[in-house]
Amino acid sequence: MTVEAISGNIKEQSSLGANRVLEVKDLRISYETPRGLVRAVSGVSFFLKRGERLGLVGESGSGKSTTALSLMRLLGPPAIIEGGQVLLEGKDLLKLSEEQMRRARFADIALIPQGAMNSLNPVMKVGEQLRDTMRAHAFNEAQSALNARIEDVLDWVDLTSDIMDAYPHELSGGMKQRVCIAMAILLRPKVIIADEPTSALDVVVQRQVMETLRRVQNDIDASVILVGHDMGLMAQCVDRIGVMYGGKLVEVSPVRDIFKNPQHPYTQMLIASLPNLESKEVFQGIPGLTPSLLNPPSGCMFHPRCPQIMAHCEVDVPTLNEIKPDRWVACHLYDDKVA
Amino acid sequence: MQLLEAQHVTRVFGGGVLNKRQTVAVDDVSLLITEDKPTITAIAGESGSGKTTLARLLLGMIQPSQGTIRFRGQVLADMSRQDRRNFRRQVQAIFQDPFEVYNPFYKVDQVLTTPIRKFKLANSPAEAERRIEESLQMAGLRPEETLGRYPHQLSGGQRQRIMVARALLLNPKIILADEPVSMVDASLRATILESLLKLKRELGISLVYITHDLTTAYQVSENIYVLYRGSVAEVGSVDKVIKEPLHPYTQLLVRSIPLPDPDLHWGSEGDLERKNQTAKGVGSEQRGCKFADRCPFVMPECRQSPPPLYRTNDDRAVACFLYKENEEISGQAMAETLAA
Repeated sequence: MTVEAISGNIKEQSSLGANRVLEVKDLRISYETPRGLVRAVSGVSFFLKRGERLGLVGESGSGKSTTALSLMRLLGPPAIIEGGQVLLEGKDLLKLSEEQMRRARFADIALIPQGAMNSLNPVMKVGEQLRDTMRAHAFNEAQSALNARIEDVLDWVDLTSDIMDAYPHELSGGMKQRVCIAMAILLRPKVIIADEPTSALDVVVQRQVMETLRRVQNDIDASVILVGHDMGLMAQCVDRIGVMYGGKLVEVSPVRDIFKNPQHPYTQMLIASLPNLESKEVFQGIPGLTPSLLNPPSGCMFHPRCPQIMAHCEVDVPTLNEIKPDRWVACHLYDDKVA
Repeated sequence: MQLLEAQHVTRVFGGGVLNKRQTVAVDDVSLLITEDKPTITAIAGESGSGKTTLARLLLGMIQPSQGTIRFRGQVLADMSRQDRRNFRRQVQAIFQDPFEVYNPFYKVDQVLTTPIRKFKLANSPAEAERRIEESLQMAGLRPEETLGRYPHQLSGGQRQRIMVARALLLNPKIILADEPVSMVDASLRATILESLLKLKRELGISLVYITHDLTTAYQVSENIYVLYRGSVAEVGSVDKVIKEPLHPYTQLLVRSIPLPDPDLHWGSEGDLERKNQTAKGVGSEQRGCKFADRCPFVMPECRQSPPPLYRTNDDRAVACFLYKENEEISGQAMAETLAA
């Protein structure tokens, strides 16, 4: 079976613009806790263009990782996907059978996990793990043919083929992360989800790994969702940014617009709080605390911390609207901009 | 007057019966914090640079293999019980992980009442309570929202600020903060750094800020020591070291900072070494500059002996042969210059 045949599992039956490879609609995910259901992701909608790098940022508890992992259907109990659609080229991943989903992983949508050190099997050589991935997707070729393909991919991520005989503990953190990138691109997926791929790495290695990811993503024409909280990294690596707060997307805009002209009050304060090399000893934090998901605020999630609060912010939940071309904001300040 | 001083401190791990290979975690590092004016000194480096080992040495948690550490002129290793007790009170630490220092079964009050009991800081429960509330407020917390809770009921930022409050209770001279904001969300990071600056400005406490993050180091500190594999690569005022780095390693680090501005781009990976870099440790047998294998400007002499510090500016010295036309200066002399 060829890669093309496997990719064919998910047929193009798209009614949406051919430019959008992934479309997430009204995704709702909760966690079951002894104190009841906790809504971690409440009504998230966004799309991913072909070849695009989208950043998903937010503080801990904002739902960014839950969103990303649910796209791969990798969330187990106590998480429950309550509703919504994840359309990959028009096909709803949430409706696939387990077996269909297993085939779609790596082939259509792949994950570069957080903390590469823990995601590789410690008692299996790197080459064997890569061969395993291919065999699981019905590449029943001879070992030599598999190896040739793996060597190609390793070369792509700047690793030499001798690391196929190495165990994960023999590799540095950056090399392990490259192995994870190699595994993610092995079957040329359309979408790569990278969940804080460099949070455990030093800055120099982080830059190398991110540059490698950017290059290979470009070469195989995949789209990337980069999940993280480091706005600096986002500024360097992505085309558009979705900002999450309290389980919702509050703003989705091109990266330059987010940094130069943020619209949502939370985004504005987040950008202002970032340390830079221009000013010293001036800090602008965001007063208050992130919302408790067990007992979320009414109306807009951000209203208890918002400096521009209006009366109806405490009551009405704002929806994510396109207030200008390509600029999506969920805030009542822009209600008059919505048709 | 000297407050906390490290003189040519080296710390070697391993080399025993079980682990023959020696690792030099800290290699001839000198540092000085004076009592005259409160300062913030950054110790920056990546993983394996020895910055946490240096912190543990400065706290007296481990002993140097060579060199001495003094507090107010007294060698730590030779202190009496009484002096040691005093040292533990005057030199406080804030660690990276605001989750790990708490016992999940006790209310957070416990981390605040224990030092009061141990150091007999209060004569009555009412006085203890007053002191706790004062220190919480100084750390930017509301006592009524903090006391009586369990650790899991507080956010990471609150837990980290309770550690700041705990350090303040003891009215210390110096606080060593080891990556205090690396596990804290962006919106709280600024608040915690602000409270650290306030300690210096309002309470006259000096800080040693240990971090891998050059941006925050630049923002809070006056002087910086950049460590590479246990040695000082570059030392000086943050304005010089971070704005105009001279050591090829510092230059690489500064260029790799992901700046929150899409128009100031990282650049291509062309200047980075590409194929398989293994995470090899430093053997004690290694001669020459530790950065030589990665350095784009490597010269034959770099492989022969370790470079001394060359004083390139009044307030900066660089351990690199590229700057050998400048006068040599010992690490200790440079530390004294910066502290003056």
